[in-house]
Amino acid sequence: MSFKHLFMKSSFVKAPIQNGIGRYVGQLQRITVKFCKEHSDSKGVRDFIENQVVDFAKQNPGIVVYLKPRRHRAPHVKLEYLNGETEILSAKCLSERELRQWLEVARGSSGEPVARLRKMQHTDRPSIQGVWTPWTNVPPQTNLETFPSEEGYRAPQREQTATEKLRELFARQQEQKQLTEETTGTS
Amino acid sequence: MVFLTSPAWIRAAKPDKFWRRRRTFRLSAHYFGRARNCYKTAIIRVEKALSYALVGRQQKKKDMVQLWEQRLEAGCAEHGTSLPVLRQGLMRCNVLLNRKTLADLAIWEPRTFKVRGSQLAME
Repeated sequence: MSFKHLFMKSSFVKAPIQNGIGRYVGQLQRITVKFCKEHSDSKGVRDFIENQVVDFAKQNPGIVVYLKPRRHRAPHVKLEYLNGETEILSAKCLSERELRQWLEVARGSSGEPVARLRKMQHTDRPSIQGVWTPWTNVPPQTNLETFPSEEGYRAPQREQTATEKLRELFARQQEQKQLTEETTGTS
Repeated sequence: MVFLTSPAWIRAAKPDKFWRRRRTFRLSAHYFGRARNCYKTAIIRVEKALSYALVGRQQKKKDMVQLWEQRLEAGCAEHGTSLPVLRQGLMRCNVLLNRKTLADLAIWEPRTFKVRGSQLAME
């Protein structure tokens, strides 16, 4: 399918190596769970709140958990990350176990949005020897050139043009004529 | 009395065409005018766009190869050889670099490329 529509962002490859080598900081900042107290779509969320939310909050002291009971609305979880990204995870008709699984995914996520990768490689230092410039292969003596200069600036060798060929042929013809005239003249 | 024939005349309900058309409208969301909102116009434009995308995907590969070859020709000309010579020399040295890598070398690692070119001119 084409990628030119408006709905998927595009980004370059990133390696978040600044987090995890020395110390790991979880990128999920807070989760806000909005659910309905009565509707059947929120049953999984309600079960999660009854059974698992306290354990989840205790196991992740860096994540703040907010619960918002709001009547007659579909349940969802708003995930906020340290880089400012916000993601809304629809919890409609999710079972308790499925919701826990999605929260585990969010907990380990970096907060970068899901995006199409423009290129499959990235490097901060693409060139070791120095990028090519028009002066890379030009000898530095050209800096000290005085013009007019014949040595470095002769026109490149090229094939004879048709005019030059004709001229050469004509000159040869003339020579031949002269030779024959001389021989006939002398003889 | 049991009537068995009349229920047989009832057709099964067709799926709602809203969803089929929505798949098209998602692709035409950024179009101008009626092609954005009216299905009969949108489907024509969207099908055209998809066929352009198909051709473009194939053409992009050809375009990239042409670009790399042009860059390699320029790099070889700078060192006094030509691309066929470079290719032959690489094959003889059993160096299996593709045009993309060679072009990248010529741009980002010009000295390596020069060494290659002179080696192969000697070959």
